[in-house]
Amino acid sequence: MKPVVAAVADAIHSVLRDTGREARPIEPPMLLAADLGLDSLDLAQTIVLLERSLGVDPFRSAATSRTVRTVSDLVSIYETALTTGGSRA
Amino acid sequence: MSPDTQATMKTSTPVPAPSALLEAPVEDRLAAAIGEIVRQAPDRLAIVAQAGSDARRSIDYGTLAQAIAALEAALDAARPVGIVARAARIESLVVIAAACGRQHVPVAFLADDSRDLVGELRDWVELDDSLTLPPAPAGGRKRLEFETVPPQVIVATSGTSGPPKLVDHSWESLLAAARLSEQWHGLGWLLVYDATRWAGIQVWLQALLTGGRLVVPASRDPDVVARALADEGVSILPATPTLLRRLLASADPSLLQKSALDRITLGGEAADAALLRQAQAMFPKAKITQVYATTELGEVYRVADGGPGFPATWIGKALPGGARLSLRRDGELLVRLSRDTAEIGTGDLVERRGDRYEFTGRRSDVIVVGGAKVYPKRVEDLVRGVPGVVEARVYGLPSAVTGELVAGEIVLAEPLPEGHTPESVRAAVLKACRDGLEPHSVPRILDLVKQIATTPAGKTPRKPRA
Repeated sequence: MKPVVAAVADAIHSVLRDTGREARPIEPPMLLAADLGLDSLDLAQTIVLLERSLGVDPFRSAATSRTVRTVSDLVSIYETALTTGGSRA
Repeated sequence: MSPDTQATMKTSTPVPAPSALLEAPVEDRLAAAIGEIVRQAPDRLAIVAQAGSDARRSIDYGTLAQAIAALEAALDAARPVGIVARAARIESLVVIAAACGRQHVPVAFLADDSRDLVGELRDWVELDDSLTLPPAPAGGRKRLEFETVPPQVIVATSGTSGPPKLVDHSWESLLAAARLSEQWHGLGWLLVYDATRWAGIQVWLQALLTGGRLVVPASRDPDVVARALADEGVSILPATPTLLRRLLASADPSLLQKSALDRITLGGEAADAALLRQAQAMFPKAKITQVYATTELGEVYRVADGGPGFPATWIGKALPGGARLSLRRDGELLVRLSRDTAEIGTGDLVERRGDRYEFTGRRSDVIVVGGAKVYPKRVEDLVRGVPGVVEARVYGLPSAVTGELVAGEIVLAEPLPEGHTPESVRAAVLKACRDGLEPHSVPRILDLVKQIATTPAGKTPRKPRA
């Protein structure tokens, strides 16, 4: 697995564990809300965890206006941020 | 116990004659009280600095009085428009305050985080631990002989709820809360507050006006503070709940048990019921008083019944001292100091629980998660009750998705209760929060830390770690 994919999967696992939900395999095509049951608080937590592990928060800059529906949406936002230097924390 | 503490405790307690204290103009009182004590017992111990460490040093009242006299002569000759106390040593701050007061020279105490504000005090002269006035700048302003208005005392605010700013006080307001009656004479006071801030100045003024012994620990490290308490015969501990909680959680209990505390005075933040219980259990002889005061209002009330907050029957009634408490619709505590003054919002939120009103936090501390309010103190109180947790703080992290997100830090007990691991305690904290709080109040980020940082004023910070 590529590092960003692994980091995103780790973050989502942590969110599920911290909120008392069952661990489950995370696949790129999965829908964050419908398949994984993530709400806006869960997404906010995921973003903080990813900032810690990857060192960037692409959502802090107004440039990130893409809708995030799937796991792979999230992965590609972070990959873009990391290659362009993004908004480093 | 150190040799000179023993010697001091054996002598009868000389006290400044009340007349010398009360008849002297208010700005002269510190110098007058120290002079009075010196006439009775010049080698009486006044200050123990760096207490609890190998660098411990002690200063007697005679030494203080000599330094005050020398500085007074220099101030009289130089007539500076004002003095900025730049000293790091506690005894220098005392000497500067006493000499400036009696010489009618305005004085400013600037804590480390407010040093930049010195530019606002044009032509004021900075005085460091050498207590030597620098040569006056050519053409610099001097204080005029006919300036007889009472000299002000300038103290910087702590900057917890905004950038630090300089606030004009008077000697009158500085001494308003001092307790001068005989039962307060000759006691040992611990100074854990910053000596240049309002709360700290109150403690050293109180100790030295009443012939007491001011004990200043070498640091806020819990074991250093506990050693200072035990070794120096401290009887009164003024502290914030955060500092007391850290002392109880992390100091060597055998040191704490050796202390002879008669009184703990809590201020600066609200104390929760669990902390009051723990403190009473550790110091069974100590009377625990919570003081409610604000920078703008001074002291509003004291409560010493062992419960958190204050009795619900106090709302709408005149309290001893004349203040009246009332509530805004959103639960903010309002105070009217006397019939002639307006009602003032305190920024503190309270909530009725049984027959008490308890503090839920400051309005400015409220974390807003997706439009819903979270009171960090309520979350902290719950988290601290989880077995294995000794300290906690909760704060808001900025979030692009929800505005803010609740985050927390916990310090684990050492050793952990049997059968617990750091991970199991962390999971138990999150579970307790999920069971006891609304979903948006549950911490989403929860870190295990060795120690909770405190603000310079000794409070629990509400900001993310820098």
